[in-house]
Amino acid sequence: MPTPPDTAWYPVARSDDAPARHIFHGQLLSQELAVWRADDGFVNVWQNRCLHRGVRLTVGDNDGGELVCRYHGWRYANRSGGCTYIPAHPADAPAQTICNTVFPSVERFGLIWTTLGSDGEPPLVDTLEGASEFGLRPLPVNAPADVVLDHLGSYRFAPAGALTGDPAVRVAGIGDASIELVSTADGHESAAVFFVQPVDAARCVIRGVLAATPGEALAIPVLRHHNHRLSVLRDRIESSVVGHPPGASPAPAARADERSVVPADRAGLHHVRVGRRWDEADGIVGFALEPIEGQLPAFQPGAHIDVHLPNGLVRQYSLTNGPGQTRHYLLAVKREPQSSGGSSYLHESLAEGDELHVSAPRNNFPLRRDVTRTLLIAGGIGITPLVSMAHALSHAGLEHELHYFARGPEHLAFATEIDRLSTRLITHLGLSPEATGVALRTMVADPGPDTQIYVCGPGPLIQATRDAAAAAGWPDQAVHFEYFANPTVLDQSSSFEVSLARSALTVSVPAGRTILEVLRDHGIAVPASCQQGACGTCSTRVLEGEPAHQDVYLNDSEHRAGDAMMICVSRSHSDRLVLDI
Amino acid sequence: MSLTEVSAVCTDRVILDRWHPISALAETTPVPQRTQLLGAAIAHRRVGDPEPEVWLVDDAETPDAGPPLPVLVRYGYVWTSLGDPIDLFEIPEFDEPDRRRLNAGSIHVATSAPRAVENFLDLGHFPYVHTGLLGAEPHTEVTEYDVDIVDGEIWATRCQFFQPQAAQNASGGQMTQYTYRVPHPYCVLLYKSCAIDPTRRDTIGLFLQATSPETCRAHNFLCMVDEESTDTQLRRFQQLIFGQDKPILENQQPKRLPLDPRVETPIRADKSAITYRRWLTELGVRYAVVPAD
Amino acid sequence: MLKLYDYELSVNCYKQRLLLGILDVPYEVIPVDFFPGWEHKSEAFAAINPLGHIPVIDDDGYVLRDAHAILVYLASRYDPSGRWYPTSDPQLLGEVAQWLLFAEGTTNTASAARLHDNLGYDFDIEAVRTGAHRLFRVLDEHLWFAERQQRPWVCAASHPTIADLALFPDVVLSEEGGISRIDYPALRRWTDRVKRIPGFSPMPGIFPATPASTG
Repeated sequence: MPTPPDTAWYPVARSDDAPARHIFHGQLLSQELAVWRADDGFVNVWQNRCLHRGVRLTVGDNDGGELVCRYHGWRYANRSGGCTYIPAHPADAPAQTICNTVFPSVERFGLIWTTLGSDGEPPLVDTLEGASEFGLRPLPVNAPADVVLDHLGSYRFAPAGALTGDPAVRVAGIGDASIELVSTADGHESAAVFFVQPVDAARCVIRGVLAATPGEALAIPVLRHHNHRLSVLRDRIESSVVGHPPGASPAPAARADERSVVPADRAGLHHVRVGRRWDEADGIVGFALEPIEGQLPAFQPGAHIDVHLPNGLVRQYSLTNGPGQTRHYLLAVKREPQSSGGSSYLHESLAEGDELHVSAPRNNFPLRRDVTRTLLIAGGIGITPLVSMAHALSHAGLEHELHYFARGPEHLAFATEIDRLSTRLITHLGLSPEATGVALRTMVADPGPDTQIYVCGPGPLIQATRDAAAAAGWPDQAVHFEYFANPTVLDQSSSFEVSLARSALTVSVPAGRTILEVLRDHGIAVPASCQQGACGTCSTRVLEGEPAHQDVYLNDSEHRAGDAMMICVSRSHSDRLVLDI
Repeated sequence: MSLTEVSAVCTDRVILDRWHPISALAETTPVPQRTQLLGAAIAHRRVGDPEPEVWLVDDAETPDAGPPLPVLVRYGYVWTSLGDPIDLFEIPEFDEPDRRRLNAGSIHVATSAPRAVENFLDLGHFPYVHTGLLGAEPHTEVTEYDVDIVDGEIWATRCQFFQPQAAQNASGGQMTQYTYRVPHPYCVLLYKSCAIDPTRRDTIGLFLQATSPETCRAHNFLCMVDEESTDTQLRRFQQLIFGQDKPILENQQPKRLPLDPRVETPIRADKSAITYRRWLTELGVRYAVVPAD
Repeated sequence: MLKLYDYELSVNCYKQRLLLGILDVPYEVIPVDFFPGWEHKSEAFAAINPLGHIPVIDDDGYVLRDAHAILVYLASRYDPSGRWYPTSDPQLLGEVAQWLLFAEGTTNTASAARLHDNLGYDFDIEAVRTGAHRLFRVLDEHLWFAERQQRPWVCAASHPTIADLALFPDVVLSEEGGISRIDYPALRRWTDRVKRIPGFSPMPGIFPATPASTG
């Protein structure tokens, strides 16, 4: 009998072995597996090992959207297995590279299938296709898979309608890791397929499926019939292999480390399709972007993606997804009156079924979860990252309130969605700038201990919030903000020299050009994204000189410290800057 | 665990030439007790003061006799060596007259000794593993601390963590200060702000007896400033804490500590663990670890 | 007040703490230095239990030993609903007694392996592990068929009984005795259900359960 390849698909659990909020402990070809179903129904099959210190994930928590390691509370996202939160460093977004080893999963015939390879699909089984299949109790056997498959050829069982009859059983087919048997007695017939899951070199699990579901009254008797007969067979097999030492392990433990279920092209972009488009509020359209292949990379609350539009423009949008909502990226786009082709394209031209490319999520606005209270302040479309935060805080059971400034009720987005969360929502509608200031001063009047503020919206609202918080005595580090655009009118009149400490190169930056542009002219690749001092991607360490900050990414104390700058917009007060590049 | 792993006798000179703990002195008996050290079967018995006898069981037929091994009694424990041992580290607090010195239990753990050391150095797990005792959500942040090598020992200082109940006799939450010290590849000590006398620090030690490359016996050592608690209460709290760590340790894979930093995913909070792994590499330790090369 | 002679890491003491917590009965812990002090083998302790083991309870002068006997007493005395020890239903009561005896078996195998592996007790480790696996196969099969009949607990009732609490600690701590539960998925799901019983408290070695989905 041929040995199936280690990369073949095998069943590793019954579908009902993975109920909500449970983690099934499985093993295939020596590889231990953590199998868990998220609340959206998706079944995850992961290497059973936290990336941090190697603790089994099966001793952790399935919280419905994420798997949480028991040791240090590291959280891993449904589907992609990407790490979304490291509690020891609550102010940081985990690196995109911290991603669990994830295996594909398919549910078929009431079984959960996976493969340690990467391609293809579970086998087709004609007998079970389109049948009302009926799964038997799986039986682990302390014997090698090939030995068990041999013995299954002599398995004797009765058809469902004639359990006490004297059956004739024939072998209807033998696969690499399965066998089909047909039993007939007293005019009744039952077809059954037995898959053999190799656990390791010395153990396997028999997973039997009948091709037809017996009547309700017969279900338990049929299950007991097979369970009894298979147990007898198991005892016989196990006593026949006693004394046979287990062979060498057929598979290394971490064989799949180099694979990823998150496909990206060479530019690091992901190919997605508009799965759904809807009107979220007056002038605001929602989009759900689904992966065309595989899974999307993990995100955290506060994260955004670059959307590469078919018209060549690149725009950044915050994700509004909650934890575990990983089937698609959710965006909400407001039509900007002065749109230069970004929001107007999305509103006018992007339809369901259209395809486009997006970057992996980045997060300049990470949400701390080590505080007892959180104030979220949104202005207009600035609601988007805060919706994602409200989801996460509700999910974690942390106290928070969301102040939502908008021109009128018709402009409120996500009202029903927020209503389902534990969020305390306070709307502020149609306020004048003065009234807005009064409202902000009231909500930040008391800088409570263990409280953090997150604000997103138009520049003036953010500035007013920062001013009010500073006046009330909030430390800078407790006030987090994200601008969609840099409202500063950039001054590019200065000229100066920049020395690159690590590249041993000095360049001149003339008026009208940015440091970033000049470096690129010299062939020096510096990661950058928004190029307007908002996203933080091009943050660079300053070793000498006094930067002239024009960004909105760094806070005031970071600006004063002067040891980092955004080279896409900021310039120099001194004649010379020395950068750590 | 396969038989070959259990019987793998240590050939690592760095480890062989050290003193290793094998029993609390108070728990030795005139009747020989068998145990295992670095894959070798050994036995010990009390023969009256001052020192017990320790010998190698090189013949299973005669377990009560065998080639004698060196003996050292320090810190309430019996130490021995399979090689030519260098001096044992000093614990100056042990000699302070008002200290409570206690053997708080020797518990077998199905993991390597270095995994247990590393866990003992770790702060970030307090809210998750010692919930309500040494930590509690949402207070999960590990703030920056210093790690240095001083006189060949690792010292981690300026460590602090929020604790809802810092010790058996503590009440209410507080930031607790810690200093950690690794003076021996398989021994680790912590100095912790004392709930009773803020000018002094309790000393808690974990002395690991590496029974095999993938198993160890953890000797819990207490040297406390505490006049109120009974021995039973002090032991109960220490065993409660260690009992919570144990299943985490036993669910780590691989059991031997990987010294290549790329095998696992260290973060800033793991500074002391990163230093410990590098220090083991620099010492040339190969037993109970997965060497970096 | 009810007194419990207790050792933190003892499976049989934990069974009492678990039930007392679930029934919300106040009690006083009398810590016994079981290890390394061997206080339960001391002359003083022989006056409390001549067999020299724990747990023992002292309920206003009524002294009772043996883990499963104490569960019977506590449930009968302190559970007014009568569900934890259902004396009014003969068949159910028979089942409870059957599984309490089964739990003596898991204590003598799975928990014996744990004492061997943790504290160095002198047991034939292969024999007790094999014995535990034999019992776990039976219990997993029982619980798998119970799930098929919408019965979440060991006995055929909609509410857990002291049989669940007598079995749970031996099962859930088995890995400390080198007995993996990877082959017993129904057993693993049942331990999740026990952990979600209101008033549940863990002991060292037992991780808390994720709360069940509220949605």
